[in-house]
Amino acid sequence: MAIKIGIDVGGTFTDFLVVEEGREPRIHKTLSTPEDPSLAVIDGLEEMAQIGGSSCSLEEFLEATQTIVHGTTVTTNATLTRNGAKSGLITTSGIRDALEMRRGIREEQYNNRYTNVVPLVPRYCRIGVEGRIDRNGDEIKPLSLDEVSEAIALFKQEGVEAVSICFMNAFANHEHEQQAAELVRRQMPEAYLTVSTELLPSIRFYERVSTTALNSYVGPILDHYLNQLQGRLAAAHFSGLLLIMQSNGGVMSPEVAREKAALTLLSGPAAGPGAGLVYTQVHDRDRCIVVDMGGTSFEAALVAEGPLMVNEGTIDRHRIALPMLGIHTIGAGGGSIGWLDEGGLLRMGPMSAGADPGPVSYGNGGTKPTTTDANLVLGYLNPDYFAGGKMKLDRQTARQAIEASIATPLGISVEEAAAGMYRVACNNMAQGVREITIKRGFDPREFPMVVAGGAGPIHSCLICDELEVPFQIIPRESSILCAVGMLMSDLKHDFVRTYVSRLDGVDWARVDAIINEMRDEGAELLDEEKIPVERRTFFVRFDCRYLKQYHEVSFEVAADDVASHDSDAITRAFHEEHNRLYGYSLETQKVPIEIINLRVQALGSSEKPRFKATEYGGSDSSPALKGERSLYIFEQECFKTVPVFDGHKLNHGNHIVGPAMIEEETTAIFVSSSFNSVCDQFGSFVLYRKGREDLVASITKGEGNEQH
Amino acid sequence: MSSIDPILLSVFARTFKSITDEMSMSVQMTTRSPILCEAKDFVTGLYDAEGNMLEQTENLPILAFSLAPVCKYIIDYFGDDIHDGDVIFHNDVFSLGNQNNDVAVYKPIFIEGELVGWAAVKGHQADIGGNVRGGYNPNATEVWQEALRIPPVKVYEKGQLRKDVWDLIFANIRLDIVQHDMRAQMGACTVGERRMQDCLKKYGIERFASHKIALFDASRKMIEAEIEQIPNGVYRGEGKVFFDGHHPGTEFTIRVRIEVEDRKITFDYSETDDQTDGFVNGTFTSSASATILTFLQMVNPDIPHNEGMIQPIEMVIPEGTILNASYPKATTFGNHLCPPNADAIIRALAPVIPERVTAGWNNLLCSLTTGIDPQSREPYVDIGFMGLKGGSGAMKGTDGYDHIGMIDASGGVLDQDYEMFEQMTPHHLVRHELLPDSAGPGQWRGGLGVVTEFTIGSDDTQLVTFGDGDFEPAFGLFGGHESILNTIELRLPDGSSLVPKNKDLITGLPQGTFYHQIAGGGGGYGDPVKRDREVLQEEVKNGIISPQKARDVYGLG
Repeated sequence: MAIKIGIDVGGTFTDFLVVEEGREPRIHKTLSTPEDPSLAVIDGLEEMAQIGGSSCSLEEFLEATQTIVHGTTVTTNATLTRNGAKSGLITTSGIRDALEMRRGIREEQYNNRYTNVVPLVPRYCRIGVEGRIDRNGDEIKPLSLDEVSEAIALFKQEGVEAVSICFMNAFANHEHEQQAAELVRRQMPEAYLTVSTELLPSIRFYERVSTTALNSYVGPILDHYLNQLQGRLAAAHFSGLLLIMQSNGGVMSPEVAREKAALTLLSGPAAGPGAGLVYTQVHDRDRCIVVDMGGTSFEAALVAEGPLMVNEGTIDRHRIALPMLGIHTIGAGGGSIGWLDEGGLLRMGPMSAGADPGPVSYGNGGTKPTTTDANLVLGYLNPDYFAGGKMKLDRQTARQAIEASIATPLGISVEEAAAGMYRVACNNMAQGVREITIKRGFDPREFPMVVAGGAGPIHSCLICDELEVPFQIIPRESSILCAVGMLMSDLKHDFVRTYVSRLDGVDWARVDAIINEMRDEGAELLDEEKIPVERRTFFVRFDCRYLKQYHEVSFEVAADDVASHDSDAITRAFHEEHNRLYGYSLETQKVPIEIINLRVQALGSSEKPRFKATEYGGSDSSPALKGERSLYIFEQECFKTVPVFDGHKLNHGNHIVGPAMIEEETTAIFVSSSFNSVCDQFGSFVLYRKGREDLVASITKGEGNEQH
Repeated sequence: MSSIDPILLSVFARTFKSITDEMSMSVQMTTRSPILCEAKDFVTGLYDAEGNMLEQTENLPILAFSLAPVCKYIIDYFGDDIHDGDVIFHNDVFSLGNQNNDVAVYKPIFIEGELVGWAAVKGHQADIGGNVRGGYNPNATEVWQEALRIPPVKVYEKGQLRKDVWDLIFANIRLDIVQHDMRAQMGACTVGERRMQDCLKKYGIERFASHKIALFDASRKMIEAEIEQIPNGVYRGEGKVFFDGHHPGTEFTIRVRIEVEDRKITFDYSETDDQTDGFVNGTFTSSASATILTFLQMVNPDIPHNEGMIQPIEMVIPEGTILNASYPKATTFGNHLCPPNADAIIRALAPVIPERVTAGWNNLLCSLTTGIDPQSREPYVDIGFMGLKGGSGAMKGTDGYDHIGMIDASGGVLDQDYEMFEQMTPHHLVRHELLPDSAGPGQWRGGLGVVTEFTIGSDDTQLVTFGDGDFEPAFGLFGGHESILNTIELRLPDGSSLVPKNKDLITGLPQGTFYHQIAGGGGGYGDPVKRDREVLQEEVKNGIISPQKARDVYGLG
């Protein structure tokens, strides 16, 4: 009996997915414990051990557990609440303020009350020291070790817990950084240390110093948290493999996570896209859009032969230049507040009622109407079956709030106002999906949409109408998609080196050496993580641009082309990617291309749980019919009575004609008039546009019973 | 006319914004010139069939009003001769262009043969012909010494490239990348055209027509509500311009007379000094943009930018003044008259809306170096973005923002990355730091300026300067103090020192020349003695305010 557990710590709930050979996957949710998130982890595990059918003690349960994959937001929260470690920075003399100035940006140009973000390291702990490397990597002034020692003395005096080292042009020669690091290790061994070129040896000083400082800022926090978690797990007899989720959609060992804590900063939603792909692959597709709508935010990601990656992002306006999934987040969730601006236009969010006080209908003191309140008025939510009936919703107060804030000022009915809130919220989310598709050169109509989050499947039909997406997949585990994704994640380690050269004059011996160096580093980490050689893959990417362009295009390069030093093939791949992204290439003009960075990703394939397909149960869904109710049909802009189905009773092949509602304990699904639904062999609800029966032909025929 | 659906209004508003944002992203990611892809000196917009602004994404506030006037001019100019597939270029400052280098692309949008709107992109081109590479010619006295004039001209007609016209234009422009960048702007217009067609087909042209009026009304109401909060009256203010590029010691005054009458505001520049003989002259459009952006910073930043937003704002900018030069005067410096224009407006309104204005902002002083990199033997051009950005003015309750530059950029122009700077130029960066005590002290202090130092890495280097702020600092308000001045100073390898004029062209600088620049801070607001002591002590600890200044000016015991 080998148990695998995915644990996703969220703001309100900690989600668990337990997969055990030969048994149905089990979902569990427990309230999060923000002051020490590892408590909820242990609580939840204990609850699962007891209620799992074969009730046992926590210790017995964990002894049988082979792998725990864990997603944590302790680093994210520490950054957003500015509760990171007290940090010091040693950098090149004359440029210590780069971290604070952030290249001189003010994100809101007309807002004179908008202030700069508090720097991660206060100015008096940012110390510039003498010593200089030039752009070619040659030393032009030796490092002043005395000044480094003085900085260390100051840090000790100021109670600094974490030190960052980042020198100008260190991407070309890290010798000075190593010298300074040596001194810090010797004179301040208790400090958490981040050396820029050990984390991110690539060009662009601001990106590097910001990423380095972020790593130091959150490093001690993650270290402390992992100590607590590992301590508690060990005390409960867990001796299996613990893996930590990263922002790039992969997982890593706690040892790697401690060193490179910044890799977890944007890991919250990072497991979702990989999970979405698993549900899509059932339908023989290798690409999808994954959307996840929670209480306060809506996240959209694209998977096209693997989740879409970007090489940088921001957290709380700080730049972080580590490879991560290109997930677009907007402030649209169940708790998003509807309001009228000064010109009388209806807006939804980004302000949110959050979990406390929450929507008006929760009855916890909320007074501002939210998306959830509108959904209740429109009939999409069942006031008596919210969270499986654990929570009652008050339709009357929801109506009153919408009337007072929206309907009366606009001179329309409460129903019209609620419908407006719903439409504006869906429009916002559709624009969010455009960000990850159209703006990156992908046509959303070509992608199935995997819909997750408790509130997602109420809105997805209208979002799909806006984008003309004909095909949606709503997994049974939709409310805990990230926990599923964690069990599906591979070990992933990204490496980068700056190597500036024209592609047509490349020094292949040098490129081979750099790539091999990165492969060796990756292999070393995978060794530590006990991944056998046959389960390792290495991917090479180049970051290139047309000569004199400013922005690089990062693209995958075939291993064969690197091995055979085929510059022509790599050139063609660049033109193609540039054309896909921006609608043109300069192939015919023969504009030279230059390389800026070389990248390697080391991937260790993990053993993934297998879900069992269910028997074909025919198309008849009437046994699952549990009633009917009146709800808003947005296509016709009117209310209509539609059938309501119990989702838990719907089986493989069961077919439902829209409009209809499907209710499950953690999710409500609205099948609009333009869609029908059919249940696939793994229990997902597949919604297809009417007239596009071809998209689900294999399910309706009962094919695909093999294990996946 | 169909009735107004208040919800559809919100959907239209959000969709138009998303379209101009998408056009903007397209320009940013595909252009070559750093002025476009790094400094983002471009604007994208959507217009209705009559040329009324539906929405725009201006990456720099100075472009807030630069596309709109020309769209109406083009409609008038071509009359019936506008067809599906046409693409029109325009830059001419004497037909409502704002600056010679800012070349616009306008593309009409048709649905079933009917003109329904326009997509447009205007961007600052790396070269536009004229006497000096790059377009900044401090010696110019006439427009032809500055640029190729492009009055409205079709480069595509009914979808067909007019190769002869295209070649004529680009035969007069030095750099090939301008062609690429103009193609990128045309691509962005196509993006806008397609999405606009999708949107209008979905909701119908009639509903669009009635709802756009309602959208204009919504923005108009928002700005009117803001104007209503300003007491009725007539208010006057002045801003100074120093040196016309030809006659050292010259000084000019921008005078604004602002009249507020209930829900309407008029900016009248009739008493402003006459135009200069050099290139220090505005155009109607650049001066109108400067006025609007300064006013927008005093109101709710959330107002959708459409035609309705500008309806209650009237501007009188007489031809022949320094803000609206007459044909054929040189005008390239016109956008940089925004800071003194803003000074005049702020000074006029500060007494009546003291809680909404900022103190003076640091004025622009910019330099541009060009030469041949001795290592690669390739030419390089560097616009000193990192050096030119000082601090913003403080306002009641909020300190100025450090190092975001002049008011017409407001944090929209990014510094070169230091390591990229050393890759793209042969220069060696010595220092780029916040400059302690550079900001005007106050209960709320101005934003800090910066000091920039580098060693020039090529022989025979050319340096062009343009700007101001070296004669007059950013002013303080209500007891707040003024900032320090801008300076640029060169120390040559032979030990001699050279201070360029604020509009200057210097050639033949040798390798090893030391470049030193200070961009001053913004002005302070309120009596510095009232500054929060805890904040002040932290600033002293951080070395942002010297102990001496803290004691002498802030009265820290």
